[in-house]
Amino acid sequence: MRRVLIVDDEDDIREVAALSLEATANWTILTASSGREGIKVAAAEKPDAILMDVMMPEMDGPTTFRQLQLNPETSGIPVVLLTAKVQGVDQRRFAGLGVAAILFKPFDPLTLAAQIAEVLGWHDEPQNP
Amino acid sequence: MSLLVLNLVCFGLAAALCIVWWRANRAIRRLRASLDAATEAQRSKESLLVQRSELDKIKDDFISTVSHELRTPLTSIRGALGLLSAGLMGNVDAKAQNLLRIAVTNTDRLIRLINDILDIDRMESGRATLHVRRCNLRELVQQGVDTMTAMADAAGVTLVLNVNASPEVQSLDGDSDRILQVVTNLLSNAIKFSPPKTTVNIFIEADKDWLTLRVSDEGRGIPVDKLETIFDRFQQVEASDARQKGGTGLGLAICRTIVQQHGGTIWAESNVQQKRGPGASLIATFPRVARPHTEEPAVQLKTAKAPAHRGTVLVCDDEASIRTVVKSYLEKYDYRVLEAENGEKAVELAAANDLKAILLDLYMPGLSGWETLQRLKDAPATAAIPVVVLSVLSPSAGRVNSTGPQLIPQGWVQKPFDEETLIAEVGRAIQTSSGSSHVLLVEDDADLAAVIIAGFEEAGVRVDHANTRQSAMDQCRRDRPALIILDLTLPDGDGFSLVEWLRQQPDLLSLPLVVYSGRDLADAEMTKLRLGPTDFLTKAKAAPSEVEELVLNIVQHLRPTTARQVSRPAGLKDERIGAHAKSIDR
Repeated sequence: MRRVLIVDDEDDIREVAALSLEATANWTILTASSGREGIKVAAAEKPDAILMDVMMPEMDGPTTFRQLQLNPETSGIPVVLLTAKVQGVDQRRFAGLGVAAILFKPFDPLTLAAQIAEVLGWHDEPQNP
Repeated sequence: MSLLVLNLVCFGLAAALCIVWWRANRAIRRLRASLDAATEAQRSKESLLVQRSELDKIKDDFISTVSHELRTPLTSIRGALGLLSAGLMGNVDAKAQNLLRIAVTNTDRLIRLINDILDIDRMESGRATLHVRRCNLRELVQQGVDTMTAMADAAGVTLVLNVNASPEVQSLDGDSDRILQVVTNLLSNAIKFSPPKTTVNIFIEADKDWLTLRVSDEGRGIPVDKLETIFDRFQQVEASDARQKGGTGLGLAICRTIVQQHGGTIWAESNVQQKRGPGASLIATFPRVARPHTEEPAVQLKTAKAPAHRGTVLVCDDEASIRTVVKSYLEKYDYRVLEAENGEKAVELAAANDLKAILLDLYMPGLSGWETLQRLKDAPATAAIPVVVLSVLSPSAGRVNSTGPQLIPQGWVQKPFDEETLIAEVGRAIQTSSGSSHVLLVEDDADLAAVIIAGFEEAGVRVDHANTRQSAMDQCRRDRPALIILDLTLPDGDGFSLVEWLRQQPDLLSLPLVVYSGRDLADAEMTKLRLGPTDFLTKAKAAPSEVEELVLNIVQHLRPTTARQVSRPAGLKDERIGAHAKSIDR
């Protein structure tokens, strides 16, 4: 069973996203409420992928991503950024980071798992319910 | 006789010379006056641009914040509703199901509305630039048709694409994402107003210069008096349309903006009027070769640097190319730059301007760098300005040439240099010369303050002490500290309000801060207390010696590390914030 780590400072979004992925994809979901915590959990648990918010206090998504890249233990974990900023400039900036994909908030809870599976090339995953 | 002729000739020559001289002078005066006028005009134009870019920035920040702040709660709402209405969290009865459907539909509409408003704002203000490249209209339309087929199917509407343009004239210079947006908006609009079992026809036509896209439906049509206004924001044929059709009232306004940005036009026709049967046609034309929209605001942000600059730096080098490079690096980091091509000019400009630092070449014709430095240090008005030497010599080789021990520049950049080294060295020189390597301790408990101060004195760090909020503010104003250690409970207000004040002071808002509080802080509280690099310590858990260790660490970081930082990967810089907090309980 695949394990996905959700990093988001918003408790509600973390919960909705976790419920959505658990219900539609049957993944094991780990959560972290900050970039710093996300780095710790990622190093300890080595999830198969990380779904991470862009705008978080203290350490934002891009910074957390770069930190993850610097640690050989976590550098191989694909990161999908989840952002509420859909301005073209932001998109291009995030795309330059080298993340696996950028998905947008608000997301559709029924297709979020399928979208993640698609961008990560997890073709064996169940498609949209 | 010949003497007389000679005299006459001499006199004539002298007179002619006089006239020439007088004319030349007049011409020079005129030229100077027009130059002054031009300079003045340029200056006022620049200040206008600066004001405008400032406004744009405020607006951009606002839009960006609003977009984030609105979408964040909507994400939770939409997610929760979506899971519930899909029955993934257990079964819901039919009535509740219907209510959930209503909630989902309207949340989606609100999301579209926010997206459209932000979109149109960015485009109409000219802040969203087009990414123009060669693209194929037929392919884009096909893509749009593919995207909208699901919606058309749901409405019982058939989409038919008719291409009357040979492949070689289907291409145009445009922003493919934006053109696709026009296509999908036009299709979505046509589908919404089409009764079931009707067809939406899409035509692509072309000539040498123009590509035309026509989307024609068989719906109720558009009254002649509304043909123009439907492209205005929130203008629909019927006031209730937005609600009933689930549109935002902005789709066509967005189309018009995009088409105009491409140098094209968009309009609506009544099919009845054109004797084409029922319904309406929306027509967009695009020039095949880029013809930028003329009304686009010609704001050149490059020349309009944010006015919140870090201060003026003088660059003195006899080589213009070096000055240009240095200037461009410094301006990138919001320094204002003055240029001097020789030492004399540098001394003159330094005396007349309020300078943060001077970058000085050593080998120059006329006054050498060392002589220039000597003169700067000799004059009381310029003695305190930090000087960074810009030289092919290494610092150790260069100092041998120094004429006296008192002539030690505050910084040294060896040529050839890169941007980061230069900026780091200038920043370091400015910081060290501002003389503020002292720590300000804001603590009302005299005993604790004494313990902390004693520890620092031992380590050779000057600590100023403030026991009230007011005194802390006064001391910060008087003498900018390098770091603040802050207790949260103060007799005349709390630490939060002090941080709030500090955040409003341009020269203090990035100060490193150590919050040393009596209790653990919630995340939200920490956010409110953040200044520059900020660390949090809890009194019960961290002993004064730990505070000292942390602060010494930071103070050391502040001084020599600016240069070291440069070699680190970019991502690590941000990490400095709070990096020292590792050993601390939160």
